[in-house]
Amino acid sequence: MTTNSLAPIVTLLQQHRAAISSEWMTEVLRVWMRLYPGLVNEDELRRQADALLKELGKLFSEHSGEAPPDITGNSELGEIARELSSERAKKGFKPADTAQYVITLKNVLTQHLVRTLNESPTSLTLCLRAVDDVLDRLSLLTFDAFVETRERVIAQQSLSLVELSTPVILLWNNVLLLPLIGVIDTVRARQLTERLLESITKHEASVTLIDVTGVPVFDTSVARHIMKAIDAAQLLGSRIVMTGISPEGAQTLTKLGISFANVISRATLRAGLAEALQLVGRRIEFTGGVHK
Amino acid sequence: MTTQPTNSSERVPILDASDIVRARGVARQVAGRIGFGLADQTRLATAVSELARNVVQYGEDGFCEIVDASDHNEMRLGILVEDHGSGIDNIDKAMKDGYTTGGGLGAGLPGTRRLMDEFVIESEPGLTRISIALVRKRS
Amino acid sequence: MKIPILRLGRILLSSIQVDLTDADAMQFQDDLVNKIAEIEALGIVIDITSLEVVDSFMARVINDTAGMARLLGAEVVICGVQPYVAMTLVEMGRDLIGVDCTFNLDQGLEIIKARIEMRGDARMIEGEG
Repeated sequence: MTTNSLAPIVTLLQQHRAAISSEWMTEVLRVWMRLYPGLVNEDELRRQADALLKELGKLFSEHSGEAPPDITGNSELGEIARELSSERAKKGFKPADTAQYVITLKNVLTQHLVRTLNESPTSLTLCLRAVDDVLDRLSLLTFDAFVETRERVIAQQSLSLVELSTPVILLWNNVLLLPLIGVIDTVRARQLTERLLESITKHEASVTLIDVTGVPVFDTSVARHIMKAIDAAQLLGSRIVMTGISPEGAQTLTKLGISFANVISRATLRAGLAEALQLVGRRIEFTGGVHK
Repeated sequence: MTTQPTNSSERVPILDASDIVRARGVARQVAGRIGFGLADQTRLATAVSELARNVVQYGEDGFCEIVDASDHNEMRLGILVEDHGSGIDNIDKAMKDGYTTGGGLGAGLPGTRRLMDEFVIESEPGLTRISIALVRKRS
Repeated sequence: MKIPILRLGRILLSSIQVDLTDADAMQFQDDLVNKIAEIEALGIVIDITSLEVVDSFMARVINDTAGMARLLGAEVVICGVQPYVAMTLVEMGRDLIGVDCTFNLDQGLEIIKARIEMRGDARMIEGEG
């Protein structure tokens, strides 16, 4: 007995591929076009659908024995599904709307099978079960790919957020400003220190202003990170002026036993700037104003 | 410790002080090849320098093995430094800042631990093994 | 490997251009200390721009050398610490280097000269001339 019990599916996918593809895509496009106008490339989707159905046919025709055919991520079929799904994820589709793709195909195939095999219930049961099984796996595969892509996107975003949030600004010749904003964890502190030190060396900044107005909480760990940055900056030859420590911050720091010795501290960035300019032998002067 | 796929490894014997320079040079090179940034290359080279010097000072003979165990998710450089000296009597003490029996600053081992993401030390008379690793997510 | 030590009046300049072995470093310390004593140097500037690794041993050599120089009556400035070297040193432990630092030889020299200006013995020998 070498007859393929799933032969009806193969026949179906050969003879009615165009019809199935068209029904499937009509339904998918109807939903997606409404939810994500402008993000759907119809031609490409139809091409992908054809390719996917062709591979699906191949899978069932090469199959023999009782166990349902298996799909792996590196098969042609898996590849198409992954690509499609990761494309959706990048465009910001919801997971449920992406899953709709395979679910719709399952519905279409089921309807066709029921129509063609209504005379032979045994064969129908076998085929339906196989379709169910294969498409469920495909579903899981697309879901995996979707989540993977999403995670990658999120990781990239958080990385660029970190870079965005630590600008080092050249305020004047040899004077740098590092405005610290937000929560400072170990990873950010490391990146921030690296960038600060690179800038100090590049600009030979003899004074570095560190403004902590935007740091919500001072605890031991934040203070220690800032201390390290300061120590390293001093090793390069830059003097540090700290500005914007709040009354609460000052109390916490003192209670923690952190005095920021070797550091000039000024209440405001304005005062700090005046101090920094003085250290490099400059000052801001009143020139009488533009409007006389 | 979990086993990682080994992509490549290089072994540098450590017999005298000139090998310290060689070992840290190789570490920096491998780190650069994997894609670690300059800051991390410096951390690794410095860590290897500290450990290799320990071998020269206390361990008689040993070696330093530098292993690239990166995969597509993360860069991972593992370093194993092994020597066959008399071993470290009191590991807890050796890991404290300022403790030294060899006239150094006593910053070598604790400093190395602070530079690395992983630090494991085992010691008995005749065999001391320190393995360290630096791990970074690929961006 | 001998590290050249240049003399500029009563100031000594030295630039470390290669990765030093431990023996090289000790030799350098020895040479420098002797030279300071020989010319009664008022200041020394050590440029370490080319040092890509400063571990705790090298840090100790630098600190010790500076300490010895001070005992011999000379001002000390280190210049050209690489940003990653500074970061690594700080991560390993604070206070590994306790010497005044600056960016380059130029500025190092300026600072040293300014400090010498303030000293009581700056013109002593010239005055007796």
